[in-house]
Amino acid sequence: METLLSLRGVTRSVVLPDDQELHILRGIDLEVFSGDHTAIVGRSGCGKSTLLNLLGLLDVPSSGELEFLGTPVQHIGGNARARLRGSTVGFVFQQFNLLQGRSALDNVMTPLYYAKGRDFWRRRELAMEMLDRVGLAARAGAKPNMMSGGEQQRIAIARALVRRPRLILADEPTGALDVETGQTVMALLDSIATESAAALVTITHDHNVAALARSRYRLDAGVLQAVAEVPA
Amino acid sequence: MSGVVSAFVEAWQELRINKVRILLALVGVAVSVTALTSVVGVGDLAREGFKVQAERSQGRTATVALSVNGPTTPDPVRLEKAYQGIVERYGISYWTHTGQAQARFQFPGGVQDVQMTLVDPGYGVIHRTDVTQGSWFADDDEQRLAPAVVVSEAFYNTAGRPDLVRKPLAKLIGEQETTAVIIGVVPDLFPQAPPSAFMLNGAAQSAGIAKGYGQFKVWVQDGQAAALMPAMQADLQMQFPDMYIDATRMDYAAHGDPIAVAQVAVGAVAGLVLLLGAMGMLNISMVTIRYRVREIGIRRSFGATSGRIFVGVMMESLVATAVAGIVGVMLAVAVVKNPWIQQKVAPALSEYPPFPLEAAMLGFGAAVLVGALAGAIPALVAVRIKVIDAIRF
Repeated sequence: METLLSLRGVTRSVVLPDDQELHILRGIDLEVFSGDHTAIVGRSGCGKSTLLNLLGLLDVPSSGELEFLGTPVQHIGGNARARLRGSTVGFVFQQFNLLQGRSALDNVMTPLYYAKGRDFWRRRELAMEMLDRVGLAARAGAKPNMMSGGEQQRIAIARALVRRPRLILADEPTGALDVETGQTVMALLDSIATESAAALVTITHDHNVAALARSRYRLDAGVLQAVAEVPA
Repeated sequence: MSGVVSAFVEAWQELRINKVRILLALVGVAVSVTALTSVVGVGDLAREGFKVQAERSQGRTATVALSVNGPTTPDPVRLEKAYQGIVERYGISYWTHTGQAQARFQFPGGVQDVQMTLVDPGYGVIHRTDVTQGSWFADDDEQRLAPAVVVSEAFYNTAGRPDLVRKPLAKLIGEQETTAVIIGVVPDLFPQAPPSAFMLNGAAQSAGIAKGYGQFKVWVQDGQAAALMPAMQADLQMQFPDMYIDATRMDYAAHGDPIAVAQVAVGAVAGLVLLLGAMGMLNISMVTIRYRVREIGIRRSFGATSGRIFVGVMMESLVATAVAGIVGVMLAVAVVKNPWIQQKVAPALSEYPPFPLEAAMLGFGAAVLVGALAGAIPALVAVRIKVIDAIRF
């Protein structure tokens, strides 16, 4: 399996207004492989989102090495990072973060506005294909406020996957859903990720969701530890 | 290529989604552009109307009057030879002697004094004399046995509006009774003007009409007037060393553009209106950015670069104000080309000029500038938004 993400001794700290340094992440070591399903569990405030931002190239480490497909990301500029993120990473957020006032189709098309060439020109067709894949082709014209939570999360999944990313980052993907809908959404996410050989990293505080992953880690006070290996 | 197109498509989609908010913001910009463009357009029309009226009474730009005065009256034959020499040497195409005189005409309602202007054929061009009926003097009109007259509308009305095709006659009463032929009609210079008429100098002399103070006028190009005037003055001075020679510009633009100051003042007010429109637009844009923080974060997470976010917010503002600019310019054209407004602003014009292109360009350019300014500040704010904080906003 190809190594997609590699973190070695990664730290992230911020300087507080009183000039004190707050260490959010300490010495993180993590490897994420293509087609892998990794879960990171932890309590609120333990640094899960900060780690997600690093994995999703939204932020850079304060120290340590973070490589994405073998490229050290701390040495590439913000715009190059944005382009790399757009073409290789798909995000699924806890609150869905769909663009209000836009139809499901418009929402799924959004990442394709930042694609180049064929993907941009075929954006409508690709978005419809992805909506069909999550079973919501018939709801293409519906706006988020007319949809259930489960439907909204499926739209968010379709949007995250429309550019066929190598890495899918899901931040509490079932946090705003009931148990049954949450399980359906996770099954869908897992099957699509497996189908497209993309790595899926789920950040959650729900152990049932984490149990679906093949590798599990616990983040506690900024320190990441492997919990157990689940045989594939 | 796809990057530029996608920026436009995205901006257009934003406009479509937020049409009510943007429409409200753009009403101010469109009204401001209408005000600015209308001021320039109406100003242009007023200038043209004023110019035509001034040129009718004072001569086209640049009309130079030459006169030779002194303790004794200069010999008329020698003076005329000197004037014709000037015309030849300086390649002047249009010239005229002008003089005022009084004559008594027999009208159907009785005898009436008429103000006569004695001219040469070149007067018609120099003074932009447009005839509403008939024709202006030709060179050979001086040879007519019955002198030709071009009369004012008031004269024509007093004479009972005879058909010019039938060559109507007008009888001059005086020591030497003369029958003149009306060949053309010109508009009155001002409302309620008394009857007046034009006659060629040679014909007036034959008819025994005594000319009062006269001038010799030449029409030269505006840019050459400053150089030609002293040259012509020196030329005449050499021929009449004991006389006082005067060469004076008679046209309205002799001392600069008289309505430029008024137009600049009104334009400044319109500029302030535009500034207010821009500030309103900026205000709404800034508030909107606050509401769009999360959306910007989401877009960044899907690969939008900071440049793309900047261009997106800018483009939205630019596309919107460009549309407002086009609407504003169209409204201004409707205002300026309104027949009632044209008649009130430029009553002297019989044909109105086309809508000035520079006014349309100014209005549209101002709208785009407002869009750029009102878009740049929120765009800079949008670029500075931290992706992580924005998604959680």
